[in-house]
Amino acid sequence: MSQTFDKLLDARGLNCPMPLVNARKEIGKLEPGQVLKVVATDRGSVADFQGWAKVAKNVELVGQETEFAEGANVYVHYVKRTA
Amino acid sequence: MTKKSNVEVWTAGELLERLECRDKFFVLDVRNRDEFERFRLEGRSPVPAVNIPYFEMLELGGKDEMLDSVVAYVERNLADQLRFDLPILAVCAKGDTSEIVAQGLHRLGYASSTLKGGMKAWGEHHETRALVETDELAIYQVSRPARGCLSYIVGSAGKAIVIDPLRHLHPYLDLARGSGLTIEAVIDTHGHADHISGGPALAAKTGAPYYLHPYDGIHPIDVLPAAIPYEFVRDGQTFSVGRHALEAMHIPGHTLGLVAFRLEDRFLLTGDSIFIRSIARPDLGGKAETWAPLHARSLRRLLDLPEAITVLPGHFSNLDEADETGRFAASLGDLKKRNDGLVALQRESEEGFVRYLLASLPQFLPEYVDIKRVNAGLLTPSEEDAATLELGKNVCALSQAYAGFCGGR
Repeated sequence: MSQTFDKLLDARGLNCPMPLVNARKEIGKLEPGQVLKVVATDRGSVADFQGWAKVAKNVELVGQETEFAEGANVYVHYVKRTA
Repeated sequence: MTKKSNVEVWTAGELLERLECRDKFFVLDVRNRDEFERFRLEGRSPVPAVNIPYFEMLELGGKDEMLDSVVAYVERNLADQLRFDLPILAVCAKGDTSEIVAQGLHRLGYASSTLKGGMKAWGEHHETRALVETDELAIYQVSRPARGCLSYIVGSAGKAIVIDPLRHLHPYLDLARGSGLTIEAVIDTHGHADHISGGPALAAKTGAPYYLHPYDGIHPIDVLPAAIPYEFVRDGQTFSVGRHALEAMHIPGHTLGLVAFRLEDRFLLTGDSIFIRSIARPDLGGKAETWAPLHARSLRRLLDLPEAITVLPGHFSNLDEADETGRFAASLGDLKKRNDGLVALQRESEEGFVRYLLASLPQFLPEYVDIKRVNAGLLTPSEEDAATLELGKNVCALSQAYAGFCGGR
């Protein structure tokens, strides 16, 4: 079953560091317990979101998926605000 | 060198020059820790570097924008590690984040630069250098410095043979066009494990035949025949190129179908047998004990060649193996004295040398099995997957010679 989310951030076409910079801004606007879904085309975002979730205090990475759409990989990250 | 918002931008080619001339600078690498561990900048001398993933700067800097976060982070956490008298090169995966980091450093008064295109561009940079260049005979060494791969274009009287072309074909096509050379044959010295061959694609593009020894037309671990068209190379076969000819010497060991190419008594393209500092490993087919004695006998065959012949290897592991002009070439006589593997070969009995080989095997990288599949046409990766398979530096040489330098990888 697909992960549920409260807000969607479209970071497709954006290069590093923008998917993560924008996700960090968006997560600040959510309530604790809510989930942000980020879709990105930058493959590096997979490892970077994992690394970020480890150092960030109020963030948990609750899921990651790779989808194939329109001839390219799309990397999906589900980030939960924990506090 | 160009400037962009007060920050110097180094291209991969400019970086290579600096690494070759032991230019002193400090690297601030902002990729994640795994990427940094796996593939980092190395020069003729060790390059001092610190790794702070950009997302740690962003989080701990605590600002909304990357640039402000970098400034806050560096002031708070990095000031004691950075020097104002040494240029700082910011490095990231593709070159965008490092530019912001370099701007942040510049705002704080540091002499900062950014690597254009990031480690991706550095990893894919190719350098072409002439070893001899006359109409009668020209030999070019095409290197991929970050990965330590070497390939060759041998030209004479308007004709050329390309040996071991790498995945990106532009260096060969550009040189052939610029020098008026017609590529008449494309040859792989063996089925490569560490990089994806450009051989079949270059052959298709130029209409030239692609040659491989048939023993390497079988994947050694899958034991499946290659699904690509190729012509067979035989021991002793000659390949004429203009007024010269290359003679094939079948020297199994690193692979069963490894072939060296000899141009008279002048040049020996050794493929993965003799490198400059070390020799090739015999275990990438998964049969180290069986192949090591073959490797020993093949290397002895090469030792009997004239001492003045110039060895042109298929790899290097460190930039400091190059001569003062940045070319990876040395006479066989010279290498008999200073190549770790050849010194051991001359000192040991066959049994002793086989023990030496088996005691010097570096880590076996699982992706090498897949790369051999790609080269045999058994697997077709996307461009992105191909780039990932080829990330970082090759590990085709025995580890002993480098144990002190790069942790024995």
